[in-house]
Amino acid sequence: MTETELSRSDRVNIDDAVMQIYEDLTKDTNIEQSPFKTYKDVFMFAACLGYRNGSRRQLSSGKKQTIRREVFTENDFSLLKAIAISATRDVDILLHLGDILTIAEEYAHAGIQDLKVHLLGEHGHPLWNLVDLINSTYRRNK
Amino acid sequence: MKLERITIENFRQYYGRQRLAFSRDHQRNVTVIHGVNGAGKTSLFLAINWCLYGEGVSSVGELISKEAASRAQDGETVSTSVELAFLHNDERYLVSRRLTGTKQSDSSVLVNSGEDFTMMRTSQDGQAKRVNNPIGAMNAILPSNVRTYFLFDGEKIDNFAKPEAGDEVRYAIYNVLKLEVLTRGRKHLQDVAAEYRRELKSISTGELRDLIEQEEKARADKESALAQKENLVREIESVRRKTADIDHRLSEMQNASALQQQRERIERELAQRQSEMRQLVSDIRETATSGFTIVAWTAIERALTVLDEKREKGEIPSSIRQQFLQDLIDRMECICGRSFEPDGPEHRRLLELMHNTVPGSLEDDVLATNASLRALDEQRQSLRSDLDKGMRRRVELRERMKALDEELDDVSRQLEGSPQEEISKLEMQRRDFQADIDSYLLQQGSLDSRIETLTKDISQLEKQIERAKKDKNKQRLLARKAALAQRSADAIDEMYQAFADDMRRRIEAKTGEIFKQLIWKSSHFQNIRLGPDYNLQVIDRYDRPARPELSAGERQVLSLSFVTAMSRISEGKAPLVMDTPFGRLSSYHRSSITEHLPELTEQLVLFVTDEELRDQARENLEPRIGAEYRLHFNRETSCTTILKGNDNDRD
Amino acid sequence: MLRDRLLKLFEEYDQDVRQVIADILALEQEHISMERPRVKEQIKQIIKQVVKNEA
Repeated sequence: MTETELSRSDRVNIDDAVMQIYEDLTKDTNIEQSPFKTYKDVFMFAACLGYRNGSRRQLSSGKKQTIRREVFTENDFSLLKAIAISATRDVDILLHLGDILTIAEEYAHAGIQDLKVHLLGEHGHPLWNLVDLINSTYRRNK
Repeated sequence: MKLERITIENFRQYYGRQRLAFSRDHQRNVTVIHGVNGAGKTSLFLAINWCLYGEGVSSVGELISKEAASRAQDGETVSTSVELAFLHNDERYLVSRRLTGTKQSDSSVLVNSGEDFTMMRTSQDGQAKRVNNPIGAMNAILPSNVRTYFLFDGEKIDNFAKPEAGDEVRYAIYNVLKLEVLTRGRKHLQDVAAEYRRELKSISTGELRDLIEQEEKARADKESALAQKENLVREIESVRRKTADIDHRLSEMQNASALQQQRERIERELAQRQSEMRQLVSDIRETATSGFTIVAWTAIERALTVLDEKREKGEIPSSIRQQFLQDLIDRMECICGRSFEPDGPEHRRLLELMHNTVPGSLEDDVLATNASLRALDEQRQSLRSDLDKGMRRRVELRERMKALDEELDDVSRQLEGSPQEEISKLEMQRRDFQADIDSYLLQQGSLDSRIETLTKDISQLEKQIERAKKDKNKQRLLARKAALAQRSADAIDEMYQAFADDMRRRIEAKTGEIFKQLIWKSSHFQNIRLGPDYNLQVIDRYDRPARPELSAGERQVLSLSFVTAMSRISEGKAPLVMDTPFGRLSSYHRSSITEHLPELTEQLVLFVTDEELRDQARENLEPRIGAEYRLHFNRETSCTTILKGNDNDRD
Repeated sequence: MLRDRLLKLFEEYDQDVRQVIADILALEQEHISMERPRVKEQIKQIIKQVVKNEA
């Protein structure tokens, strides 16, 4: 991998503009209010939701926060790889970790808005809204 | 500055490459270049100017030697260049300027715009390096604006001594003696100081104080809220104790003890359920936040499909083998179609094969991804069922807790409705206490929230205060810069006049000194005056202006004295190069000048006609001449050749 | 020579002023042949350096 690829592949970027949502979903001590433990958890959900809804959005050129790659588990990576293979219909994408992460970032950048609407925009505590979201997705899957 | 050598190539009437070395001797410091009118003196003089400054030439196109141009083919490049080597401050410089053009079909030369100007400097250790900013370097050595006082055109010899010459004299002094440098320095410093002051204004002040006040207030509020909370906690404690007392008393009263015990049982279970609920919510949260696999299930399905497709198409060669082998083993069938026993030799052999196959990174990844995606499927199922179970349990718990609450209410009502007044009273009091605790807890919650907000505010304010402090430092720095720039500008302002006056007096003195040396008739004149109007005046012994009495020749000598004085005072070590300086002087003056001029400068280069330099003048100069040349003009070729020596006979 | 005389002119002034003037004069001399030289940034640099040194 080239140097830029290397530096690109050791982290995941989140647009500064949506950081408030990430904070709101993690900061409260009351877990019904802030169900997610870490930004990574929010990111994974946002990415999957984005993929699910078929929406993908490029990050702006402004300031970014990052999540380092070490924070992600093997399971997380498997899923991100699945999303990447699925989006590109190409197995070779597995050789380009940088691209896999970019695809995930862009789905997350769109999905985070959906997450905001579902969890924070509805009545009730975000944790229960989250459970509803999962259940409704599952029912649609069948 | 001391000239060493000039190399001139195809410059005007100088065809080919010719060289001339200047005399650098201390004693024999004069270089004489002879030539009849039109032979090329002025061109050579011009070459020096052009090389150093690119100026002083009327029409650039005429610089390239016509001879060189005519010999060139159509389309061929022709060029002219002048190279000057000189010494300055113990370093050797080589300056070169070149102009190129292309020969056109109509015999003209199309000159390229822009000249090539380079400067090399050789330091004492022998290293020659290209100078990056040659113009700047020339400005430090001998700037363009003073060149006419050192590269001196003889035609202008009496410019400074004319009655109306005040402006010219002032201009000369101003530039040669660096007054211009001072003036510019002062102005620029003034501008910079003003800029700093403007910048200073735009940075806000007084903000720091406000921010600190705000922070102090926030901290005080937080302290008070914390204190309030502490009080509340104690209150709650106290009320709880009182409640416990009542519980104790009720449990000892015959008509109440049963109900009281029931109450205690219910409360215990309620506490348990609450604890259970907390744990449950936490578990649900764990499950839910991992639930993204459920959300992205279609990705997993599709990815597996793609992987399978690729494998079937043979696009992942090694993995086919891997998968094939795996499938084989799973089905316990040999390639030839026979089945084999588990752990039998065929099985072992296949396992061996599989493990010895070294997949490439892609295949590796594909396999691993494949495997883990399948694992995720199982995970998905269990996640789903865990979530389900959790939510159902939650509903159960809530219902149970609701039921327990109702039971508690019931017990309380019964106790309150007891015919025994004491019991009833106690129960009512207990209820009040409960209500108090509820209210206190509410207050506590609100205080907690307030404390959290205040903590955030304080942290924010701290950041702002840091920023403001930085601004303050920035302010202080700017103020110092502004002050320094201003003080420096003022210093120049204060000293300027003194300097200008001092310079004027020095020039006056030096000019007088030189003038006296060059003119015998000192009995006529007392001294030179250079007034504040910068007019050069010769005053007689009666202290009156004597100039109307100066002859033309004397005026010229005065001018020359002034120029020489300036060159001495400004740069003790600059050469004086003069183009036919004696042409209009009488032989008398010529004689006296040639006697003294060599002493007045480090290096003297004279371009002269034979008329100018003969008889006594020649004799005077003879002991000081260190190099001599003759410019020979060939009328047929219209080209000039530089010849060493003073052999007159070649004409 | 002339430069020395110039600098001597300011010997009664503070060290920092003298330093600034010495540097500025050299700078202006270098650009003397230009009509409107762009020296402002360099002047700011000189001032910045002198202020830093005296800190």
